[in-house]
Amino acid sequence: MRSARWQRVRIVKSVQTKVCVDGSLMKEYVLDEPLTEGFLKFLEYFGTVRSPDNLKKPYFSFEKELFISIRGFTGDCCVEVRYKKEFQDLVADYFHLLLFYEREGERGISQLKGIEESIRGKMKVRLGHSQENGS
Amino acid sequence: MEHPRQDTQPPFIYLNNAATTWPKPAEVLWEVADCLRLPLHEPGRTTGTGSQDYLSAAREALAGFFHAGPPEHFVFTQNATDSLNLLIHGFAKKTGTPFHAITTELEHNSVLRPLTALKQDGVITLSVVPFRDTTVSLAAIKKAICPETRLVVMTHGSNVLGSVQDIRPIAEYLHANNIFFIVDGAQTAGHIPIDLSDIPVGAFVFTGHKALFSIPGIGGFFIADPDTVAVTRQGGTGTDSKTLAHPSEMPMRFEAGTHNYPGIASLYAGIRFIRKTGQDTLEKKTMDLTRTFIRELIQIPGITIYNENPGLPVVSFNIAGIDNHEAGFILARAYHIIMRTGLHCAPLVHNRIDDGKGCVRASFSYFTTGEECRAATDAIREVAESADR
Repeated sequence: MRSARWQRVRIVKSVQTKVCVDGSLMKEYVLDEPLTEGFLKFLEYFGTVRSPDNLKKPYFSFEKELFISIRGFTGDCCVEVRYKKEFQDLVADYFHLLLFYEREGERGISQLKGIEESIRGKMKVRLGHSQENGS
Repeated sequence: MEHPRQDTQPPFIYLNNAATTWPKPAEVLWEVADCLRLPLHEPGRTTGTGSQDYLSAAREALAGFFHAGPPEHFVFTQNATDSLNLLIHGFAKKTGTPFHAITTELEHNSVLRPLTALKQDGVITLSVVPFRDTTVSLAAIKKAICPETRLVVMTHGSNVLGSVQDIRPIAEYLHANNIFFIVDGAQTAGHIPIDLSDIPVGAFVFTGHKALFSIPGIGGFFIADPDTVAVTRQGGTGTDSKTLAHPSEMPMRFEAGTHNYPGIASLYAGIRFIRKTGQDTLEKKTMDLTRTFIRELIQIPGITIYNENPGLPVVSFNIAGIDNHEAGFILARAYHIIMRTGLHCAPLVHNRIDDGKGCVRASFSYFTTGEECRAATDAIREVAESADR
């Protein structure tokens, strides 16, 4: 039997893909387990989480500039992820990483922060290149 | 069987009828099933005569419905976009030399993109006439006309603002001045009475899957003078097969390949349903729902309605403090209410009304109920109350 630590939420399938008005890439995923309050708390370490009251279902949104945004409902297995236009290739795995490190607790937070720094570094390099090319 | 909703209704409220009406009348579904039960009756292609000649029946139904003829001047296509492409590119090909064309800010990309493609190829210069309130006037069209103007393409009903354009004076003026006038009736055909015997259009475009209640994949156009538009597709017609040049007779001049028989059968049945129910009855029901919806929506703090007095059953709005996509997502997933969000393929309208950000659109059909409208406005109220403002 696997330990609880390794029972991570997995993506079962991607059911929809669409390019949005702002150029971001939207993907809708079906997960093998419903999203939890714990996942929302984990998300708070990495971006802005909004979860308004008084809706029929517990809706949340997550926004992380230059990375991704997420929309979904806790208790649901479906989630919508938007990959920001500018660095889609660099952030393509970011949602998977969030799912992967969520169950790691404190260790997961610091590990993902480290990965995030590395991605930001690549973003800066790319931005620097584009500024040089533009000048 | 009553209409299909009673035994197959899934647990959602469908308010996206301006995109595609749902559900379809039972007799439309029956007609599609009937059409496929026997081998297709394809004049010129089949020797069998067992099934109905849907092509002729549907053309005659369309001619009667739109008061235009002869029936052979009704051409079947995939949808309104397909019709507009055939007409716009066909007219440009026929004209041969560069010319000036006019369209409006109210248009769908089915008009804007073919015209933009011609503009990019240097075939046309293009003027885009702005709308005022929710309509485009003859005066505004006249202002844009220059000696090189040969073509005006204009929507009859806005898919965002639900405004019906007064096309008769425009058609009369353009006809008198020998300017080809293509009217995009995708949103109006089936919703309001259209009498083409009284409106001298060059061509009138319709689609089946909206207010004509047919299945997706069938549309068409009426063309007054087929010689104004060059043929841009050639192929098998089941007639004059020895000749390698595509036939010039109507309607095969613009129709190549096997027809969408189930679609045509559904269009035929859809028109029959409208006539049997009464277009006035349909229009009254959908517009009553629309007005009720607007009345309720106006009461909700934080709602901006972009068309408080539409002529079609379409209501476009935004909720303060919440992005239209997010609003649509919550309404669909938490309340099972399906609406359309975003730009509705009409980007220029949105540049004017919401800085190009898009909005939520609710659109109604004869099969929408008052309870569904109330449930929708209750849900919108809850979403609006949850928004950060």
